[in-house]
Amino acid sequence: MLKSSQEWVSAAVDGEADDKTLAKLSADVDSHAQWQRYHMIGDTMRGELPEAIDLDFSANIMAAIELEPTIIAPKAQQAEPEQIAPAAKTSNVVPFFKQFGQYAIAATVAMVAIVGVQSYNQTNDAESPLPVLTTRPLVGTVSPVSYQTGSVQNQQNYSNEQVIEQRRRINAYIQDHMLQQRLNPGVVIDENSNQDAAVNQ
Amino acid sequence: MRLILLALLVLTFSTHAEEDLSAKAWLKNMSQALRDKQFKVSIIQLQADHIRPLLYVHGIVDNQEIALLEYLNGPPKNAVRVGNRVTFIEHDQTPYSVTAPRIQGVWPAALAGDISQLEKGYQFVIGGRSRIAGRPGQMIRLLANDENRYDAQVWIDMDTFLPLRFDTLNKEKQLLEQTMVVELIELSEPANILIQAAKQDWPAVMNQAERSDGKNWQFTWLPQGFDVVVRDHHRLIGIHEPVEYIALTDGLANISVYVARSGENPMPNELLTRNGLSMVVVQVGNLEVVAIGKVPAETLEKIANSLVLK
Repeated sequence: MLKSSQEWVSAAVDGEADDKTLAKLSADVDSHAQWQRYHMIGDTMRGELPEAIDLDFSANIMAAIELEPTIIAPKAQQAEPEQIAPAAKTSNVVPFFKQFGQYAIAATVAMVAIVGVQSYNQTNDAESPLPVLTTRPLVGTVSPVSYQTGSVQNQQNYSNEQVIEQRRRINAYIQDHMLQQRLNPGVVIDENSNQDAAVNQ
Repeated sequence: MRLILLALLVLTFSTHAEEDLSAKAWLKNMSQALRDKQFKVSIIQLQADHIRPLLYVHGIVDNQEIALLEYLNGPPKNAVRVGNRVTFIEHDQTPYSVTAPRIQGVWPAALAGDISQLEKGYQFVIGGRSRIAGRPGQMIRLLANDENRYDAQVWIDMDTFLPLRFDTLNKEKQLLEQTMVVELIELSEPANILIQAAKQDWPAVMNQAERSDGKNWQFTWLPQGFDVVVRDHHRLIGIHEPVEYIALTDGLANISVYVARSGENPMPNELLTRNGLSMVVVQVGNLEVVAIGKVPAETLEKIANSLVLK
């Protein structure tokens, strides 16, 4: 790195270089670090330093540019606010719909999926008479639930398959219960219309 | 000066009037507000150890109630209500519509329904006031009349009468579930998205023809206030086992009762989740009676044991 090139960099930082020199400079990767330092020095002298100095900003910018998608054409004008997206999404959906019966809905209603049943029947902990098993809501977090088998049928030695089968049945019931909440609000409709009638009087 | 005095007088009178509202009047105003007001609320729902953020928008377009519920985290999940039809739009599912007066999953439907319906199971008691989502809220307790259901409490915005927070508590007064507004914006006009929703062509309401009438199962005992809402015969999700189904509700709590042939493997007698959902299984011969709902397990057990075929 020669003195002369340092001068170029310095001149470029001060905005005194012509386009040609700039093009040359930008091809010279070695002088980029200098460019950065000179700018920093200039900023310091003018008291324009940010509170936190990001020393590798050129690299950051390069990374950011790489992440940015290439824009080939200007974006089409957004005639509608993006909020309506959920509504718009469904417009082509109606024809498909009828083939699906009530229980095709099933999967999405699931809120609680039991992932682990640990039966602690042998524990004699008086403080927690209900043993703990783990359920995982579909959303992804885990919350413990307690679980109890009666003393009458005190089978602790479930085989793996039995446990899986048991969970499947428990899940099926809980999912169906959740689904029914959506399907059976029937009685409330009548109440509403009654009340509306009462209000009108 | 006189004006100021007058204003003061009006102010004291109006606050006075608010204080005079009975707990039931507060709830009735809330029910009315949920149906009549146009608003947008950001809500968080707490269940055991997880939090779910929601956005709920409600408005009136062409004299019809339009509402939108959006789950803000995770895979996109929305529900849109136009009048009495609710359409669920979920990422991995063909959208489907059901007939329902409210979108299930925000506030309990009963809050917007007939409040006197709740009186059979709950007492309404005025509680304290506190600030929620930057607004003053009046708390109303819904105290269970008996041990058979959980208590609830609701905070009502003193300005709009919209609910700001709804808690379900177990008998030890521990929080089971909480739905809380973090931002409430009252709108003078229906939100644009609701106008769009009203114009949208939604799937037709699902044909529920496959629900055949169930057998005549009767309960020898039900907690006061609980009524049978639905009884039918259908197949369980996923495992396709046929079940006899009965739905019970006291307005707030919903209970499902199933009668099915016992599986080869024994089911747990009792299962409790931390958000208050319980499940009880009672074996009757080669049948199993399964009761599920957000009520104490003892209630479910009593209900399951009181089932008889007539």
